[in-house]
Amino acid sequence: MKKLLWLFSLWIALFAWSGVAQAQVVLIANPSIKSADVSKGDLRDLFTGASSSFKDGSHGTPVLLKGGSVNDEFLSTYVGKSDSAFRAGWRSLVFAGQASMPKTFDSETALVDYVAHTAGAVGYIGKATPHAGVKVLAVR
Amino acid sequence: MKRELVIAVALLGGPVVCQAQSMDDLANLQFHGYATQSFAASNDNNYLSMDTSHGSFQWTEAALNISDQLNDRLRIGMQFHYLNLGQFGADNVSIDWALGDFKINRYAGLRAGKVKIRWGLYNDTQDADPGYMWSLLPESIYGIDLRATNLSQMGAELYGKVPLGKNAGSLLYSGYYGDYYVSPNDGYMESYRETGITFTDRPWGKTPGFDLRWKSPLKGLMVAGSLMLYDEKGTMPSGTLREPLTYWPTYYAQYEAQKFFLSAQYMKLVQYTVIQPSGGPSSSSVVDERAWFAMGGYHVTEKFQVGSYYSHYLVASAGDASNPANYSKDWVASGRYDITSNFYGKLEGHFIDGEAAGFYGIDNPNGLKPQTRLVVAKVGFVF
Repeated sequence: MKKLLWLFSLWIALFAWSGVAQAQVVLIANPSIKSADVSKGDLRDLFTGASSSFKDGSHGTPVLLKGGSVNDEFLSTYVGKSDSAFRAGWRSLVFAGQASMPKTFDSETALVDYVAHTAGAVGYIGKATPHAGVKVLAVR
Repeated sequence: MKRELVIAVALLGGPVVCQAQSMDDLANLQFHGYATQSFAASNDNNYLSMDTSHGSFQWTEAALNISDQLNDRLRIGMQFHYLNLGQFGADNVSIDWALGDFKINRYAGLRAGKVKIRWGLYNDTQDADPGYMWSLLPESIYGIDLRATNLSQMGAELYGKVPLGKNAGSLLYSGYYGDYYVSPNDGYMESYRETGITFTDRPWGKTPGFDLRWKSPLKGLMVAGSLMLYDEKGTMPSGTLREPLTYWPTYYAQYEAQKFFLSAQYMKLVQYTVIQPSGGPSSSSVVDERAWFAMGGYHVTEKFQVGSYYSHYLVASAGDASNPANYSKDWVASGRYDITSNFYGKLEGHFIDGEAAGFYGIDNPNGLKPQTRLVVAKVGFVF
């Protein structure tokens, strides 16, 4: 019984930890984007190439991290795809002539710098990463 | 090719030369490409015009594209594609697509030039090998031997997304109109040749059509339908071939969630052909084809994915559904491993009953056996 209780506690702890981890991704955008928030559906469409604008009409250009835990968490939480399935989807669009490949960055710092200086750019970073010069978008 | 080249140069050359004042203006210029080499081996019958019964390396593909996002609204690009598949492709480099893509507003965009045709799950992406797990897409609907003709049209496409409200999802649409040409080196042309029909020029026709995809409120679920219309005109050495306006509907659905996906598609095609010999009475024929597939895949790890599908094809107008010449039933098991982000390998097994799809007399002169077992191994490079 004790063992069962211990396992249950461990499961609860892991569940709580995953909830904390999900809160660690921040969606950032160039200040040219008028919206203060974005729906999950619109965000998913923007990052899968199905759409390139926000509800208010602002043009949006997704930018990506090359990999890592923040990247995986963003894709899992907001796009609903694994990293390889996500990139395969973009390759299909690019080779079908329906989209350009989003810019991809090795570091969160470089991504923030690009978003800050590029009209319409939208990206994601870890909460702890400094992000002066960009606006934070809430996800509805 | 000449006409395609003119469109490509007009689309790419003009705007780039006119707008690029400095290197900064070329910052959005992108180059992407891929190359694959396959090996296919079967027990008896030769498949897809390759000498598979002896093991064949006669399947090589490559593509190279260039595109430029000129501003928020306008993107231009083109792609060269090379295919050598057994007797098909003929070592030719063709222009796969060459287009200008203009975003009108939040709900609509317009593409013009040589534009991919969105029909069903894979028509517009079927030659983008790095984008999917399979070595061969279901032959019943996406025959690789037929795709060069079905891929694209020279005209325009209006496309976009319409939100349907908070609890109703959204609608992705595509409507198009243009000319298409039968590829000089694919399975359609070979089938004509095997029935004694040759042409003095490439047959062509008009192809309007549309595709509607409903992205449901349930994340990852899409239900959709497409209708492609086309006619065809061809000039033979002593007469003409004509196919009146044909309706080619298909219905499909897909569900994706994190590491796995499920999808299915059904299509029906009733095709009339009228042959008018010079100075003689005309003759007509009709073919009624039905096909469907169901597939699923799973990412075991980030680099390794497995999947399976069943693909079914029937020539219903032939009357005898028990004759292997009138059907094809293909069970497939497949795997893909991404060695790096640029290199990948695929391995696939096919258990094919029937002879109605993917087999040609050109490389099976002694006839066909009703069952084929096939293995395909492929390596690819993408950037």
